[in-house]
Amino acid sequence: MIELTGIRKAFNQGRENEYWALNGIDIAIDAEKVTVLRGPSGSGKTTLLTIVGCLSRPTAGRVRLKDQDISGLPERFLTEIRRQTFGFVFQQFNLVRGLAAIDNVMLPAYPCGLPHGELRGRAEELLAMLRLGHRRDSRVEWLSGGEQQRVAIARALINRPQVVIADEPTANLDTALSREFLGILEMLREQGKTVLLTSHDPLVVEASVVDRVIGLRDGRIID
Amino acid sequence: MLFQPAIIALLIATATSVLLLAASVPFAARVLASWDLASGSERQLRMERRTYLVSTILSFVFASQLVALLLFIFNADRMSVLFVGAMCAVGTLNVNAWGFPALLAQIGLFFLASTWLILNRVDNQAPDYPLVRVKYAMLLAIAPVAALALGLQLAYFLGLKADVITSCCGSLFGGGTETLGGDLAGLPPKPAMLGFYAVTLTAAAAGGWAALRGRGGLLLAAASATAFLAALAGIVSFISLYAYEHPHHHCPFCLLKPEYDFQGYALYAPLFLGTAAGLGAGVIQPFARVPSLRSLVPQRLRSLGAFSGAMFLLFLAFASVIIARSNLVLMDG
Repeated sequence: MIELTGIRKAFNQGRENEYWALNGIDIAIDAEKVTVLRGPSGSGKTTLLTIVGCLSRPTAGRVRLKDQDISGLPERFLTEIRRQTFGFVFQQFNLVRGLAAIDNVMLPAYPCGLPHGELRGRAEELLAMLRLGHRRDSRVEWLSGGEQQRVAIARALINRPQVVIADEPTANLDTALSREFLGILEMLREQGKTVLLTSHDPLVVEASVVDRVIGLRDGRIID
Repeated sequence: MLFQPAIIALLIATATSVLLLAASVPFAARVLASWDLASGSERQLRMERRTYLVSTILSFVFASQLVALLLFIFNADRMSVLFVGAMCAVGTLNVNAWGFPALLAQIGLFFLASTWLILNRVDNQAPDYPLVRVKYAMLLAIAPVAALALGLQLAYFLGLKADVITSCCGSLFGGGTETLGGDLAGLPPKPAMLGFYAVTLTAAAAGGWAALRGRGGLLLAAASATAFLAALAGIVSFISLYAYEHPHHHCPFCLLKPEYDFQGYALYAPLFLGTAAGLGAGVIQPFARVPSLRSLVPQRLRSLGAFSGAMFLLFLAFASVIIARSNLVLMDG
């Protein structure tokens, strides 16, 4: 479904502090599977994730999504792809403080122009699915870490993306909440979603729900 | 003479355009030499990112050139009061040998710029840069024209001397003079009018056809170019006579003057815009078979056809109103 060829990514290119975060990545990510990028801090996991999710561009190499080259697309085409194809769950959740859980969930769908009633219904359905229906009107800063993560997951799913991308999703969670997250992963896979996440948490990497683990070190694939 | 606000604005606009075009030429050459969408090399990805910056800058450059033509003509008309013998823009343009060449270069630049803008718009709507080579090749052709326009403008404006006694429009557009203007002025009104209406209506119809069918761009371009020339001939031959209510005053520039209610602007604006849209339709038509443009080109042909057709009809409407309102009787019956 997603194919990366010869991906290289440099930061501060041409300057003294030039740094190559990725050094020639060739991988294919299968549809409807859970794939984990594993590696130590600084191995290039998050950089690779942002490139797959069209949040940044490679310095060299191509990214193909269902046979369409998306690495060279102009921003206005990328916005649409980001909105319709990918759902993001960030490490720090990046929820908007001061807004209720349901408003946070609805936010990414506003540019799509859905009727408000339909959008609200969809958001309530997602919160209920993630057992957060009773907290829908609570401001996000009043929620626990696990609840905040589930709001972030609901937000990632609001536009019904084919691919869910999560960066270190269990980094801020205890074991019980991490197991709960793995349960959500299972549910997403059953729904036919393609899931790509980064993690160096053994609980995630060794979980049965994970179909494939790709090891990264120093911007290269190691296994 | 150089320190007229309109002249300064024109020179700044054209000089800036030439500078930015010159700066874009190496990039255009690089695109033509090594653009390869199949490659994921750093060089290719850099070009892909840069092409948006370059084409955005060029869009502003070319848009400024569309306005520059209007400013050039407006300025030529306004300055006629400064020269002995000048009655309108013709006198100003005749002050030295560079006036009319500068005007013609500016008109050429207008149509090249509008065509490039249309090409760029179509290219930007497709995800795979289908016209990138075409538009940068065209840029390489436009850059020398822009430089020529700047050179002619400089020669013309620097050569403006207030003590020169210039000739008025009567000497250029008099029926008996041996110039192109004189020949056009000498056309018999009835056949000229019939030809004018037939050709311009054909262009409007070609625009309508393209708007309805999403094809016929080449036909529209040919019809627009012919209508443009026929319209200019018609203005000199008989529309001007009706506008001035004078059987021997053929000047196409006096129409721009306040004494004649600026009617020239109402005539020329739709004529130039309609022709530009028609020519643009012709330029994009051959790319209708490019896979990523299969739906985009017909869509663009529809809008260009509708716009061009509407502009030619508007031009005809203004011309007809001038004729209908006039007290001049040019033809019996």
